[in-house]
Amino acid sequence: MLTFFERELVEKHKWLTHDEYIESVAIGQMTPGPPIVNTGICIGYKLRKIKGALTTVVGQAFTGTVLAILLAIFYIKTKGNVLLISIMKGVGAAVVGLLLSIIYKMASKTIKDYKTALFALSAFFALAVFKLNPIGLILASGIFGLIVYGRRTR
Amino acid sequence: MILLKFCWILIVVNALTIGGGFVMLPMLHKEFVEKYHWLTNQEFIDAIAIGQVTPGPLTVMNAFMGYKIYGLLGAVMAMISSYLPCIIIITLVAKYYYTYRESAIVNSSFKGIKPAVIGLLAAVSISLGKAYLVDFSTFGIAIVSFSVIAFTKIDPTFVIIGAGIAGALLY
Repeated sequence: MLTFFERELVEKHKWLTHDEYIESVAIGQMTPGPPIVNTGICIGYKLRKIKGALTTVVGQAFTGTVLAILLAIFYIKTKGNVLLISIMKGVGAAVVGLLLSIIYKMASKTIKDYKTALFALSAFFALAVFKLNPIGLILASGIFGLIVYGRRTR
Repeated sequence: MILLKFCWILIVVNALTIGGGFVMLPMLHKEFVEKYHWLTNQEFIDAIAIGQVTPGPLTVMNAFMGYKIYGLLGAVMAMISSYLPCIIIITLVAKYYYTYRESAIVNSSFKGIKPAVIGLLAAVSISLGKAYLVDFSTFGIAIVSFSVIAFTKIDPTFVIIGAGIAGALLY
């Protein structure tokens, strides 16, 4: 998706310079919120301020949302259908595989030393064993990040 | 009341999705499946599949879940609540980009959050895997889809569609 953005916006339409584009991708990756969503909003904002941001949101979400609603209607109507149950059994197993591959990719990028490994492991056990709330755990890991890394970046 | 609570959860979750779109899954799973029982494990995993095969970001799965929980209004409100925090955050950050980028508070807290969310995602994947991988073929499909997505450049969408076909043939 990101390479597609670059080809369309920078090379074909020349709405953005390459540097502006790179900056938008960076902002998307270092702000809270799904990176692709944020990069899109950021590009929209750079082009037309708040109007551009809102237009991007509608453009990015519209087709998928309509499709998701149609699929939801279909999903609810055909509940119990034997063929659909077996299709979804395969799909569900593939999603588990997809999640594992996402974890693998994220881990090989982020986990580099014993500190990052410790952050990942403690979060894992806090959720898997102690059933703590993930929202609280993300906030807590932010605070621990501040304590552990805060002094050295200053 | 359910709709308000649902929207509020999505706003909080999207504001805390740090390190990739999949980071929202552990939070959504805890709130929607375990805490409020609005969805079953199976419906949650189906929602992820739909978010993945539909065009646009994974966020689209929230529209699917919104429809399941509260009908058309739920779907529309789900998308508004998911995008709202992102719009606010980006317009602020775009304005104060350099201050934000150099901010020690942002950088060091993110350094803690990014590895932690991997642990959270792993914990959720295991509990979903336990519910879903019940026999030899489901295990096989999961392992194949993991290897294909992790080690080749094939789009996950095709893997999921392929697994659906495999499911139809196997069961």
